[in-house]
Amino acid sequence: MTVSIDTTRPALAEVVPPVRSGPSDAQPLLSVEGLSVSYGDTTVVRDVGFTLERGTSLALIGESGSGKSTVAKSILRLLPTVDSAVSGSVSLDGRELFGLPERQFRPLRGRLLGYVPQDPSSALNPVRTIGSQAHEAAALAGESDARVRRRDILSVFERVGLPDPERVYASYPHQLSGGMLQRVLIGLTVLPRPALIVADEPTSALDVTIQKLILDLLSELRRDLGISLLLITHDLAVAAERADSIVVLKNGIVEESGSSSQVFSTPTSEYARQLHADVPALNPDRYRIQRGAASGATPAIAPAVAPPAVEVDAVTKRFRSGDVDVTALDGVSFTLARGTTHALVGESGSGKTTAVRLLLGLEQPDAGRIEVAGTPVHGQTSAGLRGLRRHLQLVYQNPFTSLDPTWRVSRIVREPLDRFRVGERAERARLVEQTIEEVGLPASVLSRRPGQLSGGQRQRVAIARALIVRPDVVVLDEPTSALDVSVQAGILELLSRLQREHGLSYLLVSHDLALVRQLADTVTVLQRGKVVENGTVDQIFARPENAYTRALLDAIPRTSGGTAQS
Amino acid sequence: MSRSYGRYALLRAAQALIVILLAYVGTFLVISVLPGDPITNMLRDPQNGLTDDEIQQVVAHYGLDKPVVIQLILSLGRFVTGDLGFSLQSNLPVSQLLGDALPSTLTLAGTALLLSVVIAVVIAYGVQYLPSRWARGVLRSVPSLFLSVPNFVVGLILIEIFAFRLHVFTTIDPDSAAATLFAALTLAIPVSAPLAEVLIANLDHESRQEYALVARSRGLSQARLFARHLVKPSMLPAVAMIALIVGELLGGAVITETIFGRDGLGTVVQKAVTSQDVPVLQAVVSLAAVVFVTVNLLADLASPLLDPRLDARPRRKAAPERDATPERELEVSA
Repeated sequence: MTVSIDTTRPALAEVVPPVRSGPSDAQPLLSVEGLSVSYGDTTVVRDVGFTLERGTSLALIGESGSGKSTVAKSILRLLPTVDSAVSGSVSLDGRELFGLPERQFRPLRGRLLGYVPQDPSSALNPVRTIGSQAHEAAALAGESDARVRRRDILSVFERVGLPDPERVYASYPHQLSGGMLQRVLIGLTVLPRPALIVADEPTSALDVTIQKLILDLLSELRRDLGISLLLITHDLAVAAERADSIVVLKNGIVEESGSSSQVFSTPTSEYARQLHADVPALNPDRYRIQRGAASGATPAIAPAVAPPAVEVDAVTKRFRSGDVDVTALDGVSFTLARGTTHALVGESGSGKTTAVRLLLGLEQPDAGRIEVAGTPVHGQTSAGLRGLRRHLQLVYQNPFTSLDPTWRVSRIVREPLDRFRVGERAERARLVEQTIEEVGLPASVLSRRPGQLSGGQRQRVAIARALIVRPDVVVLDEPTSALDVSVQAGILELLSRLQREHGLSYLLVSHDLALVRQLADTVTVLQRGKVVENGTVDQIFARPENAYTRALLDAIPRTSGGTAQS
Repeated sequence: MSRSYGRYALLRAAQALIVILLAYVGTFLVISVLPGDPITNMLRDPQNGLTDDEIQQVVAHYGLDKPVVIQLILSLGRFVTGDLGFSLQSNLPVSQLLGDALPSTLTLAGTALLLSVVIAVVIAYGVQYLPSRWARGVLRSVPSLFLSVPNFVVGLILIEIFAFRLHVFTTIDPDSAAATLFAALTLAIPVSAPLAEVLIANLDHESRQEYALVARSRGLSQARLFARHLVKPSMLPAVAMIALIVGELLGGAVITETIFGRDGLGTVVQKAVTSQDVPVLQAVVSLAAVVFVTVNLLADLASPLLDPRLDARPRRKAAPERDATPERELEVSA
């Protein structure tokens, strides 16, 4: 037998005889040629080709809509069958996949070709225990004895760094964090020892510190088990750090491909250069100049004549959760100087969201004081609070849920004017048009509904809605975490320009320190409701004093290659 | 979860009890507020040939000479101890009347419930997995057809075809198994429609979820994916619906029993309404309330057991500390 596939799967070669003469070491594990995919009349992937050598990793990179996920799903044959037309050739381990009927392809699923999905929180059946779903994966390894399967599952859970495998086995998905769920999914994918794993943005739904751990785990498993990896990502820095070679996709066409160091340090296409420029980690000073005066001074030290835009002083907030008291914020203080950006950094559960809710007057603090431009937020009448909110607007993190899908954009943007009874009808309409133009959208979007807009456009609408009442302070609650890198760059550029033009003060809530370094002047790092670090961006990045801050800094992708731009 | 679930179950059961008592009080008040107390009217009807003494006895027996509040308390007391009184029309105990009629109606409604669930699941499965796209489309429109055809039309068509033409059952023996099955089918068809709609929508939703894709990537066949992954989450919202359907089935049973000539609760209600037989009416309304509340209670109690995501504890103000996970951006918008 010339077939050199894993000998622990002898049955497989019998089920699906190789189409070609048989793979040799010289032949790539995965070879994609002339792959085109269309939905109805729209072609989303055009003539894509690349090869992935055995034991190596390849990153497929591009912005949303570039067709990278479609390529991944075609290889996995998981595209919706209705409406999608696929042509070209995909050969894996010497077998042509597209020619196979589903009945013959199914035995390959999981065994030869594993899949790690994007959002772990929706990738497991919510009403079945993790253990019962794990048995499906364990059965792929050919084990028929349920007790042995259980042992295999528990050992793979331990292998992927899950602290208490027994508990995980008995849990339902909603009882675990996103990071733990992604470990479960990776564990279940490697359990049948596939030759290739396709990971579709495996970390984009996770906290930054968790992202690094998950990517580390994938690299480690790949090395130890000899599994090849096809990584789908929108982040060039992640791709360069984790993959041996890179394929850059744009509008369904391969713009550029080559080894990681080559694409990263000497990109030949304009688009690859653009992707490089959009990654916050690689371009810490990109918006410095645009933001102008704000970053010139050292605002935290400069003596302020007028009261600061926001002052939070020793604020404490507790919640009752079941029978225990949870202290969400514990004596938190920070200051947002006028015309500057202050970042509130911390992972999920650190108290960032509570701080924002208190600032907006949506919750009452148990102790402490919050002032916006010298006016206390709490103890106000509802009319006073309304007046205050005119100066204090919020851009929510997820533009996919923060806009009413049944309203037209014009009504969404106009709503604050209606609420605050600003001007006459004609004047409101004029203000809406002006603001939409200001956030860089064409007037034609006014008559559309959010569903017809892209993520970036929606977030611009959300920014327009916040800006239209001419606030002094804008709270940006992870304004780009739902967007990919290229779209994020556009939004950050817009925010920087608006800050300079209108002298806005931003309170930026984020867990991405690379982003914070680009946009903020001062930083407060929160951990479990306490301030663990406070200072200017330069101070924190040069001399992080706290272990947690150092962990956040480590999460910024690092690449050994040079920079693409001068 | 067990201790908090016990507390939840107890609380819901107590609520259910209160609803039943309120329904009884409500019915009682409506009847006593109506002008011209129907009981006395009927007793005074010369055709009954009762003497004044006898009338006095009956009036005293029912406590009709006492104030409404006292009457209510007495009536409630009898209801709680299971004494439903006597029918004014037939002089039989109401409990006996209901006891005779109930088995037939329960058989009909129970069979209909089972049939409606089966019909709904079959339609929903077909809409997902029929090989022909055209057939899927046709099947998808079946529920709205079911919904728009009235109960009695379905019944008449079924009788015409299966009793008169094909002789599968005879209308002379309406309690035979075959006749019961067709009566139940009549009742089930319109009721299965909303259930099928909910199932179709939920299956559409669930089969698009990432976990369905991931399960397929592990090589699960379509039938296994349906049975092991999709059915349960799709059925969960339907559990609450089944509770509502039971109410509809009781109402629909009256018409269906008439069409198929069955003796059941429907017949009892019909007679009681035409003859203003207040004790019977009061008992039937209370019975309907008991059935409806009980089924809803069961559905409420079952939901947290079936769906691990539901927290059975009484709702408290939760700490808003979980950051929402960013929704993923769809690569291709259709």
